[in-house]
Amino acid sequence: MPFVGEILKYRSVSIVGLAKNAGKTECLNYIIKRLPLDYFNVAVTSIGIDGETTDQVTGTAKPEITVREGMFFATSEKHFRQKHPLSELYAVSDEDTALGRVVTAKALQAGKVLLSGPSSATALKRWMGSLKDFGIDLILIDGALSRLSAASPAVSEAMVLSTGAALSANIKDLVAKTAFVVELIGLPLYLGPEPEVRVSSFSALDEATWKGKRAVEVEGALTDRLLQKLKAALSEGELDVVVGDFTKVFCSQELYRAFVRRGGRLSVRMKSELLAVCVNPVAPNGIVLDSDILCRELSQRIGLPVYDIVKNEYEI
Amino acid sequence: MKFREIVESPCGIRYLFDELDLQSGYARKVLLDREMMCDADAIDASYASLRKYYQLVLSDRRRVEDMRFRLQGLRDISGTLASLAEGAVLDEIEFFEIKHLAMLADALSMDPDMGSVIDILDPDGLRIGTFYLYDSYSIELRRLREAVEDAPENAALQEQLANEEERLKKLISDKLRPYAAVLARTLHALAELDISLAMAVQMHVEGLVIPSSGTLTEIQGMFHPGVRAALRAKGRDFHPVDFAFRCGEPATVIGANMGGKTVALKTLCMLQYLYQFGFALPVASALMCPFDLIWFCIGDEQDERSGLSSFSAEMLRIDRAVASVGQGKRVLLLIDEPARTTNPVEGTALVAALLQRLADQPDLALVMTTHYTVAHTGRCWRVMGLVPGSRGREMDYRLVPTTSHEVPREALKIARELGIDAQWIDLADTIMKRQYE
Repeated sequence: MPFVGEILKYRSVSIVGLAKNAGKTECLNYIIKRLPLDYFNVAVTSIGIDGETTDQVTGTAKPEITVREGMFFATSEKHFRQKHPLSELYAVSDEDTALGRVVTAKALQAGKVLLSGPSSATALKRWMGSLKDFGIDLILIDGALSRLSAASPAVSEAMVLSTGAALSANIKDLVAKTAFVVELIGLPLYLGPEPEVRVSSFSALDEATWKGKRAVEVEGALTDRLLQKLKAALSEGELDVVVGDFTKVFCSQELYRAFVRRGGRLSVRMKSELLAVCVNPVAPNGIVLDSDILCRELSQRIGLPVYDIVKNEYEI
Repeated sequence: MKFREIVESPCGIRYLFDELDLQSGYARKVLLDREMMCDADAIDASYASLRKYYQLVLSDRRRVEDMRFRLQGLRDISGTLASLAEGAVLDEIEFFEIKHLAMLADALSMDPDMGSVIDILDPDGLRIGTFYLYDSYSIELRRLREAVEDAPENAALQEQLANEEERLKKLISDKLRPYAAVLARTLHALAELDISLAMAVQMHVEGLVIPSSGTLTEIQGMFHPGVRAALRAKGRDFHPVDFAFRCGEPATVIGANMGGKTVALKTLCMLQYLYQFGFALPVASALMCPFDLIWFCIGDEQDERSGLSSFSAEMLRIDRAVASVGQGKRVLLLIDEPARTTNPVEGTALVAALLQRLADQPDLALVMTTHYTVAHTGRCWRVMGLVPGSRGREMDYRLVPTTSHEVPREALKIARELGIDAQWIDLADTIMKRQYE
């Protein structure tokens, strides 16, 4: 049973996909199916809307999340009313999402649910805090489409990344794109002296601000525009750029490479633990990549085990 | 008038509202929707209840904190209760909400009927705050659930189970319906409890006092909590001020610049709102009297945004207030330096005329700050002003009644104390003497 044992070492784990239909839901179901619930109280939710019965963009079938007996789950009022196994209600939040308030329940039997949890990282943190009365050992978070924020170490301690043909139908390109994200997740913690300058994408990007400085702290997002300016300042010598965590990096791979080539270093204040990478070789448009080649190439590139959980049907 | 409409008033009441530590968002909503009380008996009744909670804060803080902790679970379920009253069949989420409310109210001993409501939603007598359609609601439900578990693909059985669940939801809804009104009352009472406890705690923390009601206003030692907090942050403190006014006797406040006239007027306005919305007051003691209408006329930055000159905005604002006088309503009119932005000749005339226009109004209490010398039949108060020899650093903010309506000529004195260019001030002194002697 690859990587499920790893998950149990953490109190909160997010499962994030690099594209829609990248196999995130299969990955979550795979994990849920194999958790030793006799010893662990597990709660599952998602950030924002997810778990639709059919994918709203491409129309392909999208499996729901299957919760097991005794598991806690949180979803919106609307989705709870649409479908849920026999469940005991534990809490109804005060906060409204687009689909109503967030309902926290414990499944009294196994069954399918549509997940749509708190709509922001802050609301998610609050919900996680509210669970402390229920004796939860592990919280699984389904990070919705392009919502890496669930994987922020400020929210969850560890993460599982799912990627696949939906991101790119070209193995080489898919490997490169995924490897870049893995590289960002692996950015080192900043250990140097406290940076003298703090900048944000909104602040006036005056070069004089960081001229001659060795380290710059970026508040909020690191965008292409900001990194371009920082790179220009590099002719002065070395530069450490510090961001909150990898979810704050929004710059292109090319620019990041150019920045590093010039002698720039990017590091983070908080680091995520990447537990595993799962791949889905099937794209919504029908293209199927060679699973073995994909797993091997990606694994070689990132130095971590890569799993195609659908094909391999790993057993306990 | 609702609290919501005055919470942004330039008198600065927002400070105490922001500092009020409410436990639930619903209580906040209920407070913002509270109507201003214009009847002394209603105000006194609400103060009697506040006094009770204040005593509890003093005598049993632990119990208060326990109650407040529980009130964090208060949710606005008025929508659910309304649909219950209208005859709707509720679902599990709504049953959960009602059970949650009933258990919260029961724990706080709010209403004896809550026990019956809990009984309906807790057939196994577990007395825990969770809910689902318990097997014990019917033998048929249990039988069907077991059957569906054994044959999960059997659509006919699933339909039977769904029908049985629907039947039970209707049954439970019907049983709960007679309690819809008492539940709605309890929901509101819990929000009021949250508000009262927060007010009682604030009373203790900020040192607020419950006033008595009468036919005139007499205040000892008033302070503005927001201004006090700002001063304390700078290592200074607020000097408490006494003041009194009554209907039919206009009052003017005159005195030096920086003497706190505007702050005093803001405090008076805030006290009046606090009193009529049932808050304890930032005073040493006070006798208060309710009004039907409260007008606070002070220039603010909104004037500029609306494109009016500050003079026209001010005149229009005062005009609206004047129009409401003599209509059978008790009116409190607080005006900060009317006509101050125009020339002193016309300004003085406008202020003197306004006092004449509003003279002999038995239902009007008027308090006005001004820089102009205007004689009138009412009372005149003067800021004690600069402490002599303090080189402009120390101000005595106390207000004292004075018989002379002559505005004290203190600007030059203050300028001298501040050490402003002596040649300039001497010249001003000469010009003054030439003009008035």
